[in-house]
Amino acid sequence: MMPESLQEYLPQLLKGLQTTLELTFASLLTGLVLALLFTLILSLRFKPLEWLVRLQILLFTGTPLLIQIFLIYYGPTQFPILQETVFWPLLSEPWFCAMLALALNSAAYSTQLFKGAIDAVSAGEWEAALAVGMTRSQSLTRIILPHAFRRALPAYGNEMILVMKGTSLASTITLMDLMGYAARLNAQTYDTLTVFTLAGLIYLTLTGILTLIVRFIERKALAFSN
Amino acid sequence: MLELFFNATLMTLGLALSSLLLGLVLATLLALGELSRFRLLRYLTVSWVTIIRGLPEILVVFFIYFGATHLLFLLTDEFIEISPFSAGTVALSLIYSSYASQTLRGAFMAVPRGQSEAAKALGLSSGRCFYRVILPQAWRHALPGLGNQWLVLLKDTALVALIGVTDLLRQAQLFSSQTYEPFTWYATAGVIYLVITLISQHCLDKMKQKTSQHIRTVNV
Repeated sequence: MMPESLQEYLPQLLKGLQTTLELTFASLLTGLVLALLFTLILSLRFKPLEWLVRLQILLFTGTPLLIQIFLIYYGPTQFPILQETVFWPLLSEPWFCAMLALALNSAAYSTQLFKGAIDAVSAGEWEAALAVGMTRSQSLTRIILPHAFRRALPAYGNEMILVMKGTSLASTITLMDLMGYAARLNAQTYDTLTVFTLAGLIYLTLTGILTLIVRFIERKALAFSN
Repeated sequence: MLELFFNATLMTLGLALSSLLLGLVLATLLALGELSRFRLLRYLTVSWVTIIRGLPEILVVFFIYFGATHLLFLLTDEFIEISPFSAGTVALSLIYSSYASQTLRGAFMAVPRGQSEAAKALGLSSGRCFYRVILPQAWRHALPGLGNQWLVLLKDTALVALIGVTDLLRQAQLFSSQTYEPFTWYATAGVIYLVITLISQHCLDKMKQKTSQHIRTVNV
């Protein structure tokens, strides 16, 4: 039973794996860029923009990711005006909508993380850096940010795993990722336990690889500490 | 429509609360397993927790719901359908407990050894010592972590809409297809989740204050 069904299921699941990986990578990258921008806005206290960022964080951390995905993918169909704009080809594309929802969601959580890490660097370090004659930007880039980075890195590693797991929700808006193929195989074959165990093993491998990568970066980036 | 949405909100809350209760029981067992003297038990609980945490939540929900039906079919040769609500509760509590057990383990370890030694010296049985001395102190350390995981659990309940429980998200889906106004309904559901989250956060802050009111603070 096992080998034949494996031969049948595995190629399909691996086809979905590619979509999962692309989606994870694109969402993480977009999310990271947005999060850095948001952190900058919060740290520099640009008044109206700061409120917008706070609202974005409240909305995206306070509601389920699945609702965010549905809202971005199905929501625009309610407004026919949108269909005439240049954004429509993007908004009707499930891949883009899932990526956008995941990126905005990840950006909200990551911004909280980064802002927390920067705030956690004690005032004494600023004072010490300024006292030895560094300029503000020197102290920020050479003293404060490396320390904040060190604090944020392990938590950001968790965030990467959460985004990877979150991509599985894209299957609910017809995207054929790993979870999408697993659900389809399950519906076609009713061989639930085998199909989902296989998909689970692939996801576990991904989680494991991501954990190892984060640990490697931690060791490289934090080599100066200890 | 309002009444249906209200019922859906109650369904979401009921699902979240029953998963929380079951999840806390499971989490305590897992935490005790990880702190156990027996190496095999420790390995088993650590692997279990690692596996659940490494899987997407939606896969766990599907695995429990479709997998349980499949397993029952293989065992009994009959098609027995299990209710989506109970499958959802089991899946969500498994997910919650795999994260909460880590918080609890840390909280148990944060209670000094002398506390249980002192309780033993006073002649308390080990069950009583755990219940009356260790647990109340560990609770204070565990509360912030458990509270955060409750907020995660609340948002994860939306996943059971996919296996047919009529919770907030499912109700929004139904209304959207009836009225062709997806934005309105998904946004409404989102706002209700947000309100529940904000109320939870407020209550958690109050509870945090209450559990640490005996801690001496220094006003500088």
